[in-house]
Amino acid sequence: MENADDTIVIPNTEEDDSDAVPALKRRKLDKGKGKARVQSSDEDDDLPVKGKGTGKKGKGKGKAGKGKGKGKKKPRGSEDDSESEDADDFLARDMYKKGKKLPGQLENCEECRKRFTVTPYSKTGSDGGLLCAPCGKLLKGEEAKAKKKTQKPAVTGRRRRKVESEKLDGRIGVGAKSLVQLSIEKIARYAEDVEGFGDISDPLLRKLSHIFTKNRVLKPETLDLFLRNDNRKIEIHDAAYLETDNYDRVFMECPQMEDITFGNACQLKDQNLQYMLEKARHIKHLKLYAANLITTDMWNTYLTEHGPNLETLKLTWLNASFDDSTMEVLAKRCMQLTRLKLELCGKITDEGLKHLKDLPRLAHLSLHLTQPTDPEIIESIIAAHGARLQTLCLAHIPEATNSLLNTISSHCTRLSKLRLSSAENLTDEGIATMFNEWTGKNPPLSFIDMNSTRSVDYVMPEGPDEEAVGLASAGFIALMKHSGSALRKLNVSSCRHISMAAFSEVFGTGSTYPNLEDIDLSFCGEVDSYVMAGIFRSCPNLTRVIAFGCFRIEEVAVPKKAVLIGMPRAQDAIEQFGGVGMDMMGVDGGKEVTVEA
Amino acid sequence: MSEPTEYVTLVSYDGFEFKIRRSAAIISGAIRRMLDPQSNFAEARTNRCTLETIPGIVLEKVCEYLYYNEKFADSKDVPDMEIPADIAMDLLIASDFLDV
Repeated sequence: MENADDTIVIPNTEEDDSDAVPALKRRKLDKGKGKARVQSSDEDDDLPVKGKGTGKKGKGKGKAGKGKGKGKKKPRGSEDDSESEDADDFLARDMYKKGKKLPGQLENCEECRKRFTVTPYSKTGSDGGLLCAPCGKLLKGEEAKAKKKTQKPAVTGRRRRKVESEKLDGRIGVGAKSLVQLSIEKIARYAEDVEGFGDISDPLLRKLSHIFTKNRVLKPETLDLFLRNDNRKIEIHDAAYLETDNYDRVFMECPQMEDITFGNACQLKDQNLQYMLEKARHIKHLKLYAANLITTDMWNTYLTEHGPNLETLKLTWLNASFDDSTMEVLAKRCMQLTRLKLELCGKITDEGLKHLKDLPRLAHLSLHLTQPTDPEIIESIIAAHGARLQTLCLAHIPEATNSLLNTISSHCTRLSKLRLSSAENLTDEGIATMFNEWTGKNPPLSFIDMNSTRSVDYVMPEGPDEEAVGLASAGFIALMKHSGSALRKLNVSSCRHISMAAFSEVFGTGSTYPNLEDIDLSFCGEVDSYVMAGIFRSCPNLTRVIAFGCFRIEEVAVPKKAVLIGMPRAQDAIEQFGGVGMDMMGVDGGKEVTVEA
Repeated sequence: MSEPTEYVTLVSYDGFEFKIRRSAAIISGAIRRMLDPQSNFAEARTNRCTLETIPGIVLEKVCEYLYYNEKFADSKDVPDMEIPADIAMDLLIASDFLDV
């Protein structure tokens, strides 16, 4: 607004007195920095004079400028007569300018026609005229409303991230959260202020422990909430904040403890295990993750003394302790052990592994080895326990060959959970044979994880031509044929050689997998919208599908109960249809599912 | 004996009564089982559930939640209901009991 007078003056300067230009220039400069560096010769002597003097002068000239603005109307009349083409243009501009009154002048309000004094804050109305203060306020209110309306869609980015995060937590997008969930979230937010949990059920306590861990509020101060004298079970999935003394406290407060889970137990030390040995005599299930401060000697002592009581032992991420000598103690002392999980324990070699044969009651075995292993030793373990084994998880076994599959299919008859991941030397044919041989011998499995069981030869990204390596079409069909009826959880991520035809056959019309709840199909490039629709149709109890990197899924209707994770590109299409999914699932038959191939 | 009514009454242990729509009340598994005509509980006959463990202030919030749940049953991106921090613990126990 203040610069309006400047613009008015400039077109006229040529005809009018010449010192108007430098004066104006100087004014601008004065406003900016107070330093005048104008090259015009007329005003040279004025230039060094800064501060008040020039300021005054500037103001004076400014007034003169305004005067000129008024005076300008006269030449306009004369130009009207001239027939030059510029005239119209000029007139239009001039008329526009005429409407703009300067601060301090009087003007009629565009809205209410009332006369008012123009201020620098006067608003411009819809037709370009000025508005009086009350009308301006009204306009401002309307603008703010309009702004609010337009702002809403802008926050979707953040909301979408929240939605995705909830999906990953397994929460479904439709409908309200349960009141239990809402309360737990609230409690976790005010974790420090909670005095006690009172008398709540164990499943609820576990839920609280989960969310405390997730929000990283499970600290020494909040630990006490989870300790009750009669507790038989404690589950802390992230114990990283707990200090050495806190562990002792757990065993002191809860001497009846039978089941212990400490994740990230990085401050659990020898002295704690010693104290546990003395105090917590009832422990049957011990799960410690990343307890790296415990030495091999302490493990040996503990297992020698307490080993006979243990039924479950799950240890992961032990880098510097728990070596082959401990394995020997384990095999000798833990006669009751039914569940054993040793993942990423770097010191265990073939020498220690072979002792596992001697465990008399082992029914659940999970191994994720870091040292190169002789597959024959694993085969001998499976052969020894085969008839008892219910769980067999072998992650990262690149050395294993089809003879491992033969051992499994000929010895295991009660298996319900099987993981063979990152086994890049198994062939498709071998896997198919294993499942075919199992028919009638081993009941259908409920959990199968074959992730990353594929050929990893970067020279041949499509895999070898003559024989498919890893889980591919034939293996997948055999797997689903054998276990489809009981399967609850299936992970075939990165098994990218499973063909479109195989998926269509497995999830085609007429097939149903009533128990399947959770599928991970990530990086199975052949999966497209058609297959996805087939999956939703044939698995009525599906709650979660993970499909990262399946770029051929475009638009698909997700049933109400299920979530589809990992499809950022197709998000809009999915959300759009999300609400209708339920109706379509309600209709019987196979052809009503929308497919946009 | 009476027909299933449109509204049912929930009573807290300290005597507060809340009359809420049946369709909302039966979102809670425990209340649904109480009111099931097949079960032949006194609650089903009188359409009145006395919840001996829940104080009025908590039950009020529960009723609010039941209506909130009913309202948003089919919508996506449901805004979370506000829960006062001071009753969150009681509410957790009540909601666990009521199966909501």
